Amino acid sequence: MPPLRVVCYVNQFFGQIGGEDKAGTGPQSLEGPVGAARAIHQALGDAGLVVATLACGDNYVAERSEAAIGELVDLAAGHAPDLLIAGPAFLAGRYGVACGALCAAAARLGVPAVTGMHRENPGVELYRRRVYIVETGADAARMLDDARRLVALGLKLARREAIAAPGVDGYFPRGLTRNTLAPATAARRATAMLLDKLAGHAVSSEVPLPDFPTIAAPAPVRDLGHATIALVTDGGLVLKGNPDEIEPLAATRFGAYSIEGQRGLDPGRYDNVHRGYDTTFVKQDPHRLVPVDVARDMEGQGRIGKLHETVYSTTGVATTLAHSERMGREIAAKLRAARVDAVILTST
Amino acid sequence: MRLALEWSDVTSVASGPATRLSASALEIDLDGLRRQLERDPRLASVRLDLAHPGESCRIGRVFDVYAARARDDGAEDFPGVLGALCRVGSGRTRALGNVAVVVTDQQIDNPSTLAVIDMCGPAAELSVFARTHNLVVSARPAASAGRSEYLAAIRQAGLRAAVHLARAARAVEPDTIEVFDLPAPTRVPGDLAHLPRVAYVFQIHSHQRPTGVDEGILYGDPVRRMVPTLIHPNELLDGAVVRGFMGRAVTTWAIQNHPVIRELYALHGRALWFTGVVLTVAQATEPERVRSAAMAAGLVADVLGADGAIFTKIGGGAPHVDMAQTAALCEARGVKTTLIVEDMSTDGSEEGMLLFNFPGLDALVNVGSAQEKVALPAMARTIGTDDPAAATAFTYGSICGAIEQVGATRVMALVQ
Repeated sequence: MPPLRVVCYVNQFFGQIGGEDKAGTGPQSLEGPVGAARAIHQALGDAGLVVATLACGDNYVAERSEAAIGELVDLAAGHAPDLLIAGPAFLAGRYGVACGALCAAAARLGVPAVTGMHRENPGVELYRRRVYIVETGADAARMLDDARRLVALGLKLARREAIAAPGVDGYFPRGLTRNTLAPATAARRATAMLLDKLAGHAVSSEVPLPDFPTIAAPAPVRDLGHATIALVTDGGLVLKGNPDEIEPLAATRFGAYSIEGQRGLDPGRYDNVHRGYDTTFVKQDPHRLVPVDVARDMEGQGRIGKLHETVYSTTGVATTLAHSERMGREIAAKLRAARVDAVILTST
Repeated sequence: MRLALEWSDVTSVASGPATRLSASALEIDLDGLRRQLERDPRLASVRLDLAHPGESCRIGRVFDVYAARARDDGAEDFPGVLGALCRVGSGRTRALGNVAVVVTDQQIDNPSTLAVIDMCGPAAELSVFARTHNLVVSARPAASAGRSEYLAAIRQAGLRAAVHLARAARAVEPDTIEVFDLPAPTRVPGDLAHLPRVAYVFQIHSHQRPTGVDEGILYGDPVRRMVPTLIHPNELLDGAVVRGFMGRAVTTWAIQNHPVIRELYALHGRALWFTGVVLTVAQATEPERVRSAAMAAGLVADVLGADGAIFTKIGGGAPHVDMAQTAALCEARGVKTTLIVEDMSTDGSEEGMLLFNFPGLDALVNVGSAQEKVALPAMARTIGTDDPAAATAFTYGSICGAIEQVGATRVMALVQ
């Protein structure tokens, strides 16, 4: 196997350009290993050569972010690398963020990339999901050891070898799940885990416990008689034929259905595509899901000011957190723009 | 209560003039069995095939899998679904090792909700059903048979075939006898009273889709209004519960060989005291869910007096939350819990794995992601399907026996 072509990235300090006074220096490509890249070169041994070292000032990247990363990626691409190794950035924040951004950009171009940081470097939280970040010490005291671990993971990536668990290959968990074969059945693991828990030992859950932020309840509506109320549902109401192509599960889209001039929802005009519950009854009468009938009555009696003339609907079943949050934001923005005061959200 | 499973190991299966077992070679009178199964007026025709371990063969449109079992002391087989009603779980039952009955669904238009079994290749590594000799029952519906009638008919056909095969073992001495003997939960000998008492909470159905009148699950009952119920584990090993009409990632086979029950039996009297099983169903409405969770937790904590409990679920998201709500109530009563969950993420992200957030539920085992894609090669022969599309896109959930929600499998989603 020919030695791999490796391009390194370092900041002005680790590239021996200078200290904070040189942090505004623009990107440059230096031949061979320079500064900290020499440790990478040494760790590579016969497996690869550092063909170039890219160096750039921390402030230059921080101030121009995307443009600077674009320049650096172009410089790297000029060397046709098999692998990009950025840093390690240790506890240096601006440097860590630059390393993460550069590795993410390189990975998008199909160039395997790895960086290294201390766990408290802000670059870890920003980039660990997209980039392999090896855990290092806080400073360069164990530079060669850290370089060896970056190189070990980098070689695996460049050779397209299977990557082991975060704890084994020494990188921060990327938050992605992948099926593997455990040594024992789930029943056996669950029983062993229960006995450990009963014995008061610490147990290691196979599913990380979620850490969802608490969402504060909004203030009550003071005067319903003058409030505009909207109806929103994740129960799967769609127009017949599902023109918005709302997915029966794992939705990425929502529908906006006008009820202007309608006393209620005509079962002949609506359907339901939700795959998470028995929809027989809401298909018979969509008001069981979206109470337009009752809301119109209350509007007529003056008990609410006005019923908003658009109903928003999607399917809330196996929907990803990311799409749920996005759709929620988009619907909320439309409601806010329409000066809606409150929402009745019906779920299933 | 004492149940003896009398095992005869089978090393070869072939068609023959009569169904008989001799020196671990099983011969099956396929014609005779087919004629017997075709007597059901709900079925137009029945086709029987054999598939063997290592063959380049794919069984498509898999509906469910049954272990070959037959009661050996005059009691009824699968009471309420196949045999007349009676209680099972004590006495002697014949069992064939390395043999399974696989039932395919020949009625549904879109087979994408059904599973496949490959007898070799990468999927075979994941499924116990690639290591069993499989009798595959593929029945075409009679013109008059509705969906529910058809599914009830093919389920009975599969169970009938499973009993037919196991009865052949009556003529030989069993190779091994596996004894499941568990006293009533109060009868703990004094010198074992220090062992932690462990219960199992088994969710046997999800009412996300209500059961049909033909869909017997617990002793033939469609469990429509079932509240949490105590049951002896032997009953589950002996045919008291048959899986409903839907349920990817769970087979009746796994219930007949229930891995949690076997594990608790294996440690019973040594590392723990097995106090029994609570059956639950996942409910469709809020009051039913709250009632069920409260009653199940009460049975675990205050009737069985358990110190710890293991939970499994069946079906999708709502059952997942039902299970968690019950477990959270157990934790609140001081009962330690572990839960077996699927990775529910639809985008492969850590945040999507769980659908609940009860801080006390900190011991979770997972059976992997059913949605993760897996590439499978084409097979030389297919059974139960002539759909060539069955040779392309697969997920772990579409491989029968790769993921069993009751915990029989080793696939596990790892966060990386």
